[in-house]
Amino acid sequence: MAGQVKVMIDRIIQERSKGDALLASTTQTKLILKGFDPARYDATSPDDPMILARLRQVAAELNVTL
Amino acid sequence: MGITVAQLAEGTAEAGSKLAAKLGSPAVVVYFASPKHDPAVLAADVAHSFPSAVTFGCTSAGELVSGAMTKGAIVAMGFGADVVARAEVAIVEGVKESTGGIGRVFADWERKLGQKMLDLDPQRWIGLVLIDGLSGAEERLMDRIGDLTNVIFIGGSAGDDVAFKQTFVAANGHAASDAAVLALLECPDGFDIIKTQSFHATRQFLVPTKVDKAAREILEFNGKPAAAAYAEALSVKPDDLAGQFMAHPLGLMVGGEPFVRSPQQVVGEKVRFYCGVDEGMKLAVLDSTGIVDDTAAALKTALARSPGAKGLINFNCILRTLELEATGQTDAYGKVFTGVPTVGFSTYGEEYIGHINQTATMLLFL
Repeated sequence: MAGQVKVMIDRIIQERSKGDALLASTTQTKLILKGFDPARYDATSPDDPMILARLRQVAAELNVTL
Repeated sequence: MGITVAQLAEGTAEAGSKLAAKLGSPAVVVYFASPKHDPAVLAADVAHSFPSAVTFGCTSAGELVSGAMTKGAIVAMGFGADVVARAEVAIVEGVKESTGGIGRVFADWERKLGQKMLDLDPQRWIGLVLIDGLSGAEERLMDRIGDLTNVIFIGGSAGDDVAFKQTFVAANGHAASDAAVLALLECPDGFDIIKTQSFHATRQFLVPTKVDKAAREILEFNGKPAAAAYAEALSVKPDDLAGQFMAHPLGLMVGGEPFVRSPQQVVGEKVRFYCGVDEGMKLAVLDSTGIVDDTAAALKTALARSPGAKGLINFNCILRTLELEATGQTDAYGKVFTGVPTVGFSTYGEEYIGHINQTATMLLFL
């Protein structure tokens, strides 16, 4: 399977920004500082269980329900 | 009342009353002071001298005031209620151990404001953060703050005149080490943020593949011993690597702009940094450009974008200050800020969303 990381990152950005471009940019920066550069993941990125687990943790930190 | 600025030289007695004479009756007072002024005494004195104001500040490693860089001084900025309509401030102590205090402060503010921190308008509210510059806690603090709110927090790590022994932050009369000051300001006319670092990215990248995060040390880049790989990227001998650090730090690229990660020293085959670096982060090797010209250009762009700015706080990295001193450019750098009321200080780290190095983060009040 592939693409789940990208889906989760997009969901985090959408939930935190509610469509606001400035907040979307800020959230992307926060994700990069946490080690998840949105630009490095796309629909073909493998569903690495370790990355998915860490991303679920990041979502919880950001108060986002996936 | 707008914004007022004051500067007191080293050795000034009764600093609080002298600041009050210069600043008038502001709603908020922010100050930065050399540790030559006893931090606890100064905090109490400033709070006593501005009984109806929110007061906070920290110790410095050199100060900035409109048109000049100073040493051993106290600089302060007063904000009228027309610039900062509401301010909340708190000290979080024990930051080396835990960031739990941030949640408690935010919960308290939410009760007072009747609004969740996540729901505050990030174009009307701005956060200031001052952190013990020797705590090593900046990354965790900024990460937690960013989790809990969309309000941007900007600031710096307190200094101690380059003694690297003890730094202090202070709020409402109380000074502390192993602590951070959090301030939340409501700015009805808005604000602007400047982040300038006087570096551009080369096409060379280093990826940490083994790190000791707690020690801020990188053991391996690209699967090779860190010092050797860094030296190879710069085409220098490992013995000459440390001499290249100031001009060639690394940058985590965000939207084409580097979040600078500055190496501190070579430790055997490892490289120790001034901020934390995670495994797998793709870091660009940076080339330095001119601090004075770049800062002047960044300020000019911001002032064109935000005309009529009333004042500016500059959190300027101590490494930039040391380079300015080494190249005889401190006067030129100070003069960059002649046209706008300014205070600031030379920091042991800069904060803007995260923790960064070799950068000036600035807050422009409109």
